[in-house]
Amino acid sequence: MLKRKLTVVLGILVLFSMVLSACAPAALPAAQPAAPAVEGEASWWRTAAQTAGCEGVTLRGISESTPPSRYAADVLAKAFEAETGIKIELEATSWDEMYTKAINDMQAATGIYDFVYIEQDIIYQYLANNYLTNLTQLLADNPELASPDFDFAKFTTFIDNFKDAEGNIYGVPMEAFLKVYLYRKDLFSDPAIQEAFKAQYGYDLAPATTHAQYRDIAEFFTQYGRDNGLDLWGTTVQGNTGHASSFYEFFESIAPTFGVYNWGINMDNWKATVENGGEMNSDKAKEALAFWVDMLNYAPPEATASTWDEVAASFAAGRAAQGWVYGENAAWIATDPDRSRVVGNVGVALPPVAEGVMEDAESGVGYIGYYDGGAFGLPVSSKNQLCTLLWLQYIGQESVQADWAIAGSRIVMESTYDDPKVQEVDAKVDGYYTLMKEAGPLFRGAPPFPFHAALREVVQPYIWKALSGELTPAEALDQAAAAADAELVNLGYGQ
Amino acid sequence: MRSNRMGWALLAPTLVILAVVGFLPFFYVLYVSLFDWNPFSNQLGMQWAGVNNFRRLVFDGAFLDSLWRTGLFAFTSVTIELALGFLLAQTLVNSFPGRTIFRTIYVLPLVMAPIAVGATWRLLTIPGFGPIPYYLDRWFGIDFRLATYADQAFITVILMDVWHWTPFVTLTLLAGLTAMPKEPLEQAQVDGANRWQVFRYLTIPMMMPVLLTVIFIRLMDALRIVDEVFMLTSGGPGTATQFIGIHIYRVVVPKTDYGYGSAMSLLVLYFTIVLCWLLFIALAQVGKQRE
Repeated sequence: MLKRKLTVVLGILVLFSMVLSACAPAALPAAQPAAPAVEGEASWWRTAAQTAGCEGVTLRGISESTPPSRYAADVLAKAFEAETGIKIELEATSWDEMYTKAINDMQAATGIYDFVYIEQDIIYQYLANNYLTNLTQLLADNPELASPDFDFAKFTTFIDNFKDAEGNIYGVPMEAFLKVYLYRKDLFSDPAIQEAFKAQYGYDLAPATTHAQYRDIAEFFTQYGRDNGLDLWGTTVQGNTGHASSFYEFFESIAPTFGVYNWGINMDNWKATVENGGEMNSDKAKEALAFWVDMLNYAPPEATASTWDEVAASFAAGRAAQGWVYGENAAWIATDPDRSRVVGNVGVALPPVAEGVMEDAESGVGYIGYYDGGAFGLPVSSKNQLCTLLWLQYIGQESVQADWAIAGSRIVMESTYDDPKVQEVDAKVDGYYTLMKEAGPLFRGAPPFPFHAALREVVQPYIWKALSGELTPAEALDQAAAAADAELVNLGYGQ
Repeated sequence: MRSNRMGWALLAPTLVILAVVGFLPFFYVLYVSLFDWNPFSNQLGMQWAGVNNFRRLVFDGAFLDSLWRTGLFAFTSVTIELALGFLLAQTLVNSFPGRTIFRTIYVLPLVMAPIAVGATWRLLTIPGFGPIPYYLDRWFGIDFRLATYADQAFITVILMDVWHWTPFVTLTLLAGLTAMPKEPLEQAQVDGANRWQVFRYLTIPMMMPVLLTVIFIRLMDALRIVDEVFMLTSGGPGTATQFIGIHIYRVVVPKTDYGYGSAMSLLVLYFTIVLCWLLFIALAQVGKQRE
């Protein structure tokens, strides 16, 4: 009896697993290792690995699970291992977990990780704590391990984010992109839609250049989706009410377009409140937050649960007509039919700005959005410094950049812009790479705060409360600015 | 004398493990709590703060809010679990068709890891895609948005905990009910007691040790809940579901405020010990009454 029952149960399990296997997506094609530039260089890597005694060594790294990181793990790591005999174990995980693990490792000096992802905004914290190895010095001390195909000078000015006051470099840039304004070209160019829009608002439908236009477009397409029974809304909002991503969208993408820079912190006296010289609760900041919170009315229902990943997924699913989207997702949204329903219909433009902001950006006083990115750095606690130096140079070769740029919409070297493969994709992404090259200087990374995460943790609950309607935008920013002032004093700034 | 030495020798591995994984971390946390230590502050390294971190806690609105929220969550969820668990245990103690299948399916949530429970509920409730918001809207016109409405998030977290842990309460109470002597119950029925009187004056008192044990275990679990809630809501919207475990995590890990976070942990540990002690006293009291 028991035997019969067991047979039945096992039979069901086998059948179930067969069904699951049948439903599973086809296996991904094997990653193509980046081809070495020339035969001689390949042997240079092997020789260098032998010189440094690195053959058979395993290097462990941690990074956020982004398209560029996954390319590094799936393609570059394998190619590097084939050339040098050094194995790379790159843990691509969530943004939160990445920081937790990396900081804990470096703080305790346990040496688990040989390389860590350093986002542009966290570098100042890491430098202040002497977590990172000076790569300029390490290369100078070990000239025999300096690759002929690696040169810091070949990187874009983005590499400046990873320098100390003396110009020493602490990270090899591996991704850099803009948070751009994406819109649906198919919708924006539809004659019937254009006509309806003009009839309703009195001007032509085009990518928004002002916040008022952005709001009109968002309102129009939300209503359009409703009227036509479509899962379509007017805008994305990275408005997760329990995750730092919403804090970043507001302070690094929305507030600057209203003329509020550096999170509204006065960098001369480290104060946030208007009464102390800051701008976090200024009228401009309150207007920005009110605008952004209002956008939730025209955003898909998942907006308050969306981080950067979900925003990209929502746009790729065709659920939003426009939005601020991280550029690292632009290429796959525009070109990958397996993941995106808007292939061929993605438009790229500069975000809308308030009066005077573009002039601020052009003169260098301000900026119109976020220039994000990161580098791989070598923790002081790593026990494989020289082997990691080889790996960092390997990913910093000119020859691996073009394919990486296509896979991850990231460019860290000037020469990559001119690569034919990149230019081909550029056309499909409505000139995203060209926009990055030409308008990149109008965008800026996070302000150089050594207290970045600590301050963010204090301020973000108020942004979440504004998004959930628990506080008005004005109340939220007044309370946030007061809390920021108190925390900065607590951290030893702005006494 | 010899047997005494042998006893200590046998106990030694346990004591060493206890010291390493229990006492050492505790004293380290106690030590750290007396310092201001945030690697990202202007003053690098540990700065002596004395009891200042503990003093700050008393005036920390966010900490006190999360403490109150945790208490409310623990009280509500454990109360519902007890009521439901008792009802189901009473039902399962009797035989009925399909009882075995029901019991098997019913206890399945128990074997799930908390993080998987959170992920499952997240998939069920995610606005725009989850079946729960979809059908609530379609059938009842309810705008269910977990990440927007604080009350919905709080209630959903309670429901998730009830779904996860009521089977445990049921099984434990079922064991207690099955082990209960039948004679007093039969005697009471012979004496003319109705079902309510039997329940109120016999079943409840006889089940009291089991009930208190269940309350004890579930309360401790509810007070330290983190994973499911973090997976489902990340403590949001705002701080609506930011229970004390998540609050401490945010202070210690992303904010890297090690000194203050340590003080917070110790105070919460103190509250938990006091609560345990009160429950232990109650349990001992019941034991004495039964004797």
